[in-house]
Amino acid sequence: MNDKLTFNVLLLSMILLSCTAKIVSRNYYQVNAAQLETIEKDYKQLYKEKPFSLAFTSKAFTTVQVEIITDTLTYIYDFDVDGRPILDTLQKYGLRQNKIYSLITKMKKIRCTWINSFDYYVNDKEQHLIFISIKPVLVRYPLSPPRYYIIAYFDRPQSFDKMGRLLDGKRVDRLRKLNGQVFKKITDRVCYTIAEKYR
Amino acid sequence: MDDLIKKFFLFLCILSLGSYAFGMTAKEDSLHTSTQKEAILFIDSIKHMPPSGAWPHVSSRLFLENLKLNIHYPLSFYPGRGTNFCAYGALSYLVIKDDPLGYAKFMITIYKEGSAVYNKIKFTPSSSVMSAAGTLRFKGVLDIRHAEQIWFLTLADHFKGYLNLLNLNYDLGDEDTFWASTNLSKFNRMVRKMCNYNTTSAGSDLLHPWISNPFQYLEKRLGKGILVLYINNRIIHKKNHDKIKFSIPTHFVVLENIARAGDKVTLTYWDYGGKTLLQITPSVLKKIIYGISFAQK
Repeated sequence: MNDKLTFNVLLLSMILLSCTAKIVSRNYYQVNAAQLETIEKDYKQLYKEKPFSLAFTSKAFTTVQVEIITDTLTYIYDFDVDGRPILDTLQKYGLRQNKIYSLITKMKKIRCTWINSFDYYVNDKEQHLIFISIKPVLVRYPLSPPRYYIIAYFDRPQSFDKMGRLLDGKRVDRLRKLNGQVFKKITDRVCYTIAEKYR
Repeated sequence: MDDLIKKFFLFLCILSLGSYAFGMTAKEDSLHTSTQKEAILFIDSIKHMPPSGAWPHVSSRLFLENLKLNIHYPLSFYPGRGTNFCAYGALSYLVIKDDPLGYAKFMITIYKEGSAVYNKIKFTPSSSVMSAAGTLRFKGVLDIRHAEQIWFLTLADHFKGYLNLLNLNYDLGDEDTFWASTNLSKFNRMVRKMCNYNTTSAGSDLLHPWISNPFQYLEKRLGKGILVLYINNRIIHKKNHDKIKFSIPTHFVVLENIARAGDKVTLTYWDYGGKTLLQITPSVLKKIIYGISFAQK
């Protein structure tokens, strides 16, 4: 009886561990690569027209925080995803409401919690990278911190060490941390990390 | 170890309650103020800066460009993405409004000589800070703002509070750690030492101020001086989806405007080189505010 119970507990643990390991790994990118690429391209295009960022601030993906960046002010608004006010506000600030709403829908579908564009500088020239955070479906141990899968899309190829860790462009021996995290290679311009915070 | 943590927490509580609700006032007896026009005349007369031996990684061109930007556009100060320089950003807002010429002259001197005096305070940055200025990366536009890198690193190296006790000396990357952190009383102390304002303060590092209606409190003072809020930014700028959060203040912002319509309070504040407009409920306003510093001439 005890052996059977031990076997079942071990089996369950292995299933849980394998689920966790499978979802929070570079496999997530491979499985969702096409959707992620579409989201990145759409966002990049829309951001060029008018800068903004999106974050799902509720666990159930029902509330979205929109940051609209203008020359004089950054506006921060929280909206119900399915409500009318979000469309009215996007229109008010001259953003493409239908395209952004479509982007929000695509993000929700694959549980993207945040998308934003960051500036950085190479030889004093401004460059941009796009962050996409995902809240994977996984079983968490009680009181364990949440885990988010964060993907960084660079415009140009980056340097990595032998372990696939992102390096500082200028000093090749120095790891480049983004938001305090070490990122690992997926492709030469895409890398990922797993963090407790999505932004 | 547990005992040590308990003692440290008790220490924090005592320090925090020490300034709680009673407010702190300081009056400077000599006003030393300059105008933006004077500062522009001074800074625009400098056409070229030679490289400085004191700051080996600072580009003289980026330094001068950045200094001119600060003088011409005082709200341009950007404490950097992911750093703990937000309090120094708010302090810069007060300094540049109070004495832009003094700021410009101080920066030129510290760049050339490696140490300088501002408002009777001598700043002598450590060699690790001098070596780090000009090398900060992935902090947004701060990457190419070499005067601000010198300014923020020098301030953080000089002013210390209890949050800095465990990390007093700068190591590479410490701009993101407790080395650069600021608590409310340290912020007030920096304002009193660096600026010629009368300052009053309410609140603490662990408990909200005893103010029944924060909206009225802020509205009443707005326009009569500069209001700096010490807030828990994690409530309005969530970073994860956990419902249980350890509630502590994390960010300093300068209040530019506040208005109320129905159950919505619209806050306009300055931080990170620009203004942000945010709509929240009165209860969230009460929940996010831990400290209010009011600086008046």
